[in-house]
Amino acid sequence: MAMDVIDYEIFGDDIQYVEVELDPGEAAVGEAGAMMMMQDGIEMDTVFGDGSSQSAQGGLLGKLMGAGKRLLTGESLFTTIFHNEASGKRRVAFAAPYPGHIVPISLADIGGTLICQKDSFLCAARGVSLGIAFNRKIGTGLFGGEGFIMQKLEGDGLAFVHAGGTLAVRDLKPGERLRIDTGCVVGFQPSVDFDIQYVGKLKSALFSGEGLFFATLTGPGRVWIQSLPLSRLANRIIKSAPAAGGRSVGEGSLLGGLGGLLDGDND
Amino acid sequence: MTAPFRALVFGPGLAVTGTPAVLAIQGDALTVTPQGADHPLTLSPSTLRLREVGFGRGGIELAWHAPDGDWLVHVLDPDEATRLQGLAQRSGLSGMAALQATVKTRRRRRAVGWTSLAILGLSPLLAVIVLYFNADRIAAWAIQSVPEDTEARFGRSAFEALRGRLSLRDEGPEIDRVRTLGKRLTQGSPHRYQFHVAEDATVNAFALPGGIVVVNTGLLQAMQRPEELAGVLGHEIEHVEQRHSLQALAKDWGWRAAWALIAGEWGGTLAADAATQLGSLKFSRDAERQADAGGFDRLVAAGIDPSGMRDFFRRLAADGGFLSTHPSGAEREQQMDQRMQRLGSRHFEPLAGP
Repeated sequence: MAMDVIDYEIFGDDIQYVEVELDPGEAAVGEAGAMMMMQDGIEMDTVFGDGSSQSAQGGLLGKLMGAGKRLLTGESLFTTIFHNEASGKRRVAFAAPYPGHIVPISLADIGGTLICQKDSFLCAARGVSLGIAFNRKIGTGLFGGEGFIMQKLEGDGLAFVHAGGTLAVRDLKPGERLRIDTGCVVGFQPSVDFDIQYVGKLKSALFSGEGLFFATLTGPGRVWIQSLPLSRLANRIIKSAPAAGGRSVGEGSLLGGLGGLLDGDND
Repeated sequence: MTAPFRALVFGPGLAVTGTPAVLAIQGDALTVTPQGADHPLTLSPSTLRLREVGFGRGGIELAWHAPDGDWLVHVLDPDEATRLQGLAQRSGLSGMAALQATVKTRRRRRAVGWTSLAILGLSPLLAVIVLYFNADRIAAWAIQSVPEDTEARFGRSAFEALRGRLSLRDEGPEIDRVRTLGKRLTQGSPHRYQFHVAEDATVNAFALPGGIVVVNTGLLQAMQRPEELAGVLGHEIEHVEQRHSLQALAKDWGWRAAWALIAGEWGGTLAADAATQLGSLKFSRDAERQADAGGFDRLVAAGIDPSGMRDFFRRLAADGGFLSTHPSGAEREQQMDQRMQRLGSRHFEPLAGP
């Protein structure tokens, strides 16, 4: 199946959404629940699996496989296809689920395949297939911060993935190595070698706060790094939540603790 | 000429993210045609370095050094890579043998790794299985180190906990009979025995660790001759001598500890439960069998006719009563009969009394 070529526009700074423009007959695949708004004339169709040509070929079994793969990557069993049934161009918008940046990646530019963090997929042109990439390196699976299962996007259309915080894109030359805090990897080309490396010194391992291992990405190829994995953000939020034992600050009351009594429950 | 391979090529002047290319093998020569290039690059197989690449491996990298810099060709699709390997092997591409050797080593290492990971994951289950089949041995080993006075203290505290529920009759002809017989049966024992009679119509008797034996009045009334009482006492005394209570307790605690390890939750009430548990512990069938055998020998050693034991247990079985954990009537009777036969026609002085 030919890939649909879609135009897009990204809005917002740190909490973004992407608006995709569909020509008549074109379609986009969205992660269930990612749709933010759509114009008249766009029809929504929910399919079992990923809606790509690959899983459609295999009949029921293929669909089940596709759906199972999606379940493994922690996503919904269903994907939603948004197709333009109107006679003119129509737009549909997909929103990022947490602060960060939406990364448009043209799969054709990077050789057709992208390995990315599970759960990071937002939307893509119809025809992009969503699969799993199983990490067979035990060490990397256990300590690389991404687990044993990552997501594989294949095709030659546009795909949008979401990165937490600020995004860094690096083009690594053959043999060039980047050491990364575990959990900060958003995606990379499959030509990149994803591995782990011991931090080197026992003292650093125990007290540097970086854990025992770095994730390493070795070129050639392009890599996408996020500055703030969602789990880290969530951890900080939980830690500072007064209900979970954090200290309540920043209400700005001169009365301090007494202010809490006066201005009531702020939950 | 075989079908060409889809590849990505990285090299000087090409995109850092790789340029789609077509790799072809023709006889001894390899050609790589990057997308948009006018003419293919022809490689001499002898200068190539081969490596396994790709996420989860399965891809092949061909690398070579040219005057303008280093070049890499990646064939990442696993199927294509396998096809390339086969083809390269046939055309004698240098370095392919070495590549296959490293791939093999890596596969073996990975298999070992996954196996050990699986074993690690299954170890709680394995531990439970080992525990299950060795529970008796482990419990026996564990209680070896418990000193006798500790055991007696256990027994006393359990007895204190039970005392409120029992109406003990510590005077009268019954208790004297029980004490006299008990003394005769427990001569030379390291345990200090205490015998009690409890007002209870149930036909039952029980022993606590350290040597506290309680006989119900119901049991005494069911006796037809003193040898029968001696048989029951011998059985209960053997529970004490063989430390069956401790064994059962050790097993019970062991299971809880094992469960706590697996479920990750520590009850914390272990010690609190212990005293009350001791009173209501059921012995295993093995323990009952051992007590039967030991009791029998004990009677013989004390010069008491063991047929009373057999008769009484036979009558109990006929009534369909006593504890469910006791060996089944038929089995017990058979074993008793066998023991009697082995004993032959030995003469015992009948015991005095009702």
